[in-house]
Amino acid sequence: MSDLFANYEHGKFYDEMFAAPGKARPHYRRLYERFGLLENMAELMDRQRTADQTFIDRGVTFTVYSDNAGTEKIFPFDLVPRIIPSHEWAHLEKGLVQRMTALNLFLADIYGPQRILKEGIMPREMIESSKNFRPELVGCKIAKDLYVHINGSDMIRDGDGLYSVLEDNLRTPSGVSYVLENRQVMKRVFPNMLRDYRVRPVENYTNDLLNLLLYLAPAHVPEPTVVLLTPGVYNSAYFEHSFLARQMGIEIVEGSDLVVENDKVYMRRTDGLAPVHVIYRRIDDDFLDPTVFNPKSLLGVPGLFNAYKKGNVALCNPIGTGVADDKAVYYYVPKMIKFYLGEDPILPNIETFLSGNESELSYILANLPKLVVKSVNEAGGYGMLVGPHSTQVQIEEFRAKIIANPRNFIAQPTIALSRCPTVIEGGSIEGRHIDFRPYILNGETIKIMPGGLTRVALRKGSLVVNSSQGGGSKDTWVLNDDVTHPPVPVPEKIIV
Amino acid sequence: MLSRVANLVYWMARQLERAENTARIVDVNAQLVLDLQSRQAADDPKSWEPLVYVTGDEEKFFELYGETVTERAVIEFMLFDKRNPSSLISCVSLARENARCIRDQLSAEVWETLNTFFLKLKSDDFSRYAQLGSAEYLSRVKTQIQLFYGVAESMIPRTGLWWFFQLGRHLERADNTSRILDVKYYMLLPDLYAVGSALDMVQWASVLRSCSAFEAFRRSRRGQLNLERVVDYLLRDDVFPRSILYSVTEAEQALGQITADAVHLEDTAPARLIRELRAELEMIDVPAVIADGLHEFLDEVQVKLFDIHNAIQATFVEYDTADAKVQA
Repeated sequence: MSDLFANYEHGKFYDEMFAAPGKARPHYRRLYERFGLLENMAELMDRQRTADQTFIDRGVTFTVYSDNAGTEKIFPFDLVPRIIPSHEWAHLEKGLVQRMTALNLFLADIYGPQRILKEGIMPREMIESSKNFRPELVGCKIAKDLYVHINGSDMIRDGDGLYSVLEDNLRTPSGVSYVLENRQVMKRVFPNMLRDYRVRPVENYTNDLLNLLLYLAPAHVPEPTVVLLTPGVYNSAYFEHSFLARQMGIEIVEGSDLVVENDKVYMRRTDGLAPVHVIYRRIDDDFLDPTVFNPKSLLGVPGLFNAYKKGNVALCNPIGTGVADDKAVYYYVPKMIKFYLGEDPILPNIETFLSGNESELSYILANLPKLVVKSVNEAGGYGMLVGPHSTQVQIEEFRAKIIANPRNFIAQPTIALSRCPTVIEGGSIEGRHIDFRPYILNGETIKIMPGGLTRVALRKGSLVVNSSQGGGSKDTWVLNDDVTHPPVPVPEKIIV
Repeated sequence: MLSRVANLVYWMARQLERAENTARIVDVNAQLVLDLQSRQAADDPKSWEPLVYVTGDEEKFFELYGETVTERAVIEFMLFDKRNPSSLISCVSLARENARCIRDQLSAEVWETLNTFFLKLKSDDFSRYAQLGSAEYLSRVKTQIQLFYGVAESMIPRTGLWWFFQLGRHLERADNTSRILDVKYYMLLPDLYAVGSALDMVQWASVLRSCSAFEAFRRSRRGQLNLERVVDYLLRDDVFPRSILYSVTEAEQALGQITADAVHLEDTAPARLIRELRAELEMIDVPAVIADGLHEFLDEVQVKLFDIHNAIQATFVEYDTADAKVQA
């Protein structure tokens, strides 16, 4: 029996697989033993190549923006799964349901009575200065009182293995197609291990999403038509858009395919106009309707906003959810949970400093080399400073930006993200930092897919997991029950 | 189906058909030049000039390459020049771009066949063409396109997607065959007495070969090659798949399938125009057409095909939404 982990360096981080050098955590023991059955590292690298080729053949790609050719790349996939035992998942699920409930109440409040502002829990100025707040919608009734339908919260584990929420994504969180495709590939590469582990299936996601979308349709429509609105084939997430549309059997449309007549939305078909009742939009608010938001947008649909306000069409997510994933508003989520639910948050936030608060600004400016600074409205790892990994010049550049516009930034301590064993190109297994994005659907009930996107920073020592910055992904296995005493493994022929 | 998607697949088919015909025209001319070797050198401008007129893009050609027509310039222009929107590479690259936009609706094999072809073609140039020789190079190109049609035929479900594909393909083919027939108009005979001469025969044979119609013609008519018989065959043979009448009939059938589920569109402009053109082709008196001027007649066919195209756009794609029918 070979030991692929013989030279594995444990490091001073929380390791998902090993409690101590050579000592696998209970839920990883079976995998540890199975990997031991592989002949050698070369055999594992063969599996890795098979997996990579499968992604290329299936066209599971994303487009790189910075590159003019619009090159399509695969999102690198790592064979070592992230395993979440069922008791940990139960905890996460409870915490995420609580958070989603509070965020929905917060949005309903902000676009309604604004109690949280009136009672001084949050400064009014913070909401009104948020780029993603839509004052036009205050007082506007929303389908089924659901002010947010999909959230992809980014979560991390610190040095002690404690899960906390790094940020929420309540606009158009992406990545779920990779979760589904990753599982398909793992089923081919490690079928027996998946079965023996009793991994919970993620397959139902598209079904749940479709049910959610249908639930949002205006009440009087017997057979509602749902479409997915994409910015188009050149968008970096187009693969995901077309994947989800195919899985749900709905039409994928561009802005130019939709027209609004008498405040009703139609799609242009060859046989005439067909009514549309629910739009799963993968376009930001700003681009939805050029007559109301960004007038330069060619992606949107003129008149859509009014059709939406009149309740003739439902949008998922609704307009204006972005105010809740403003990173400065994030700071207040624990307070929201307390305020709306009277509960303590089950999942904590990361310690966060607002440069908009004067006392915290001076702390931030004095500690930049230790902190991670983020611009409040950016996503995808853009517009951020990782203090410990930055040059003096980069730090000074950011200092000037923060002073010029303090409302626009937050800072957090650099977290020692947990690490998970990862197959490295040269042919070894090393620890790499990971995070986690679960997908939470808020429809008739709150549903959380048992799994999610585990992203891994493939560059040695890197803490940035974004696909645009050299990140990859892993399959995430949520277990049905905790495997504490694994039976003796049977020799497995790995079927590809 | 969505208008945008219908339009993309319609154009994809047109571009590919055009690419194939471009390859055919170049191929036949290259062979014809060899047959004429005794009389004319291959670089005699007269051997390649007709092609420039056939594309209908002579202005663009002279603008890009000047007044001297050389073999190399024509090959560059018709096959590899991206500045020419009708060149082989332009057509294939546009077709592939369209396919990319509707990739979710095409099966993996359909997409991959076209994508692989495009990726190979992309790096080709005149020296590659010269190295392989025109016959070998162009036969590879034609084979690739035929392969795509084969895969498409066996993979695409017979929904609107397929019928718009057929519609585009056959309208384009009708147009292209009319242009090939017109080449002869530009091929100069030394004098009037050369009508019916060996040279005349060689030219007619080459026109038929452009459409892969030479052997089919021989089998069907058994007659001597002459103007009237060749025109009759390519204009309105009702079983030869590349004749204008056959192509128009196919397009008409595709249109019928498209409107089968949309009764309100059954008797609109595209259907009327296409029916009229088919009826006209069925009824024509070929000797009279030739007497009145074949070139003018073919011009008219091309204008009618263009009107049909416009009517299709106006009915299915760019219709005014204010008075469009709203589905229940």
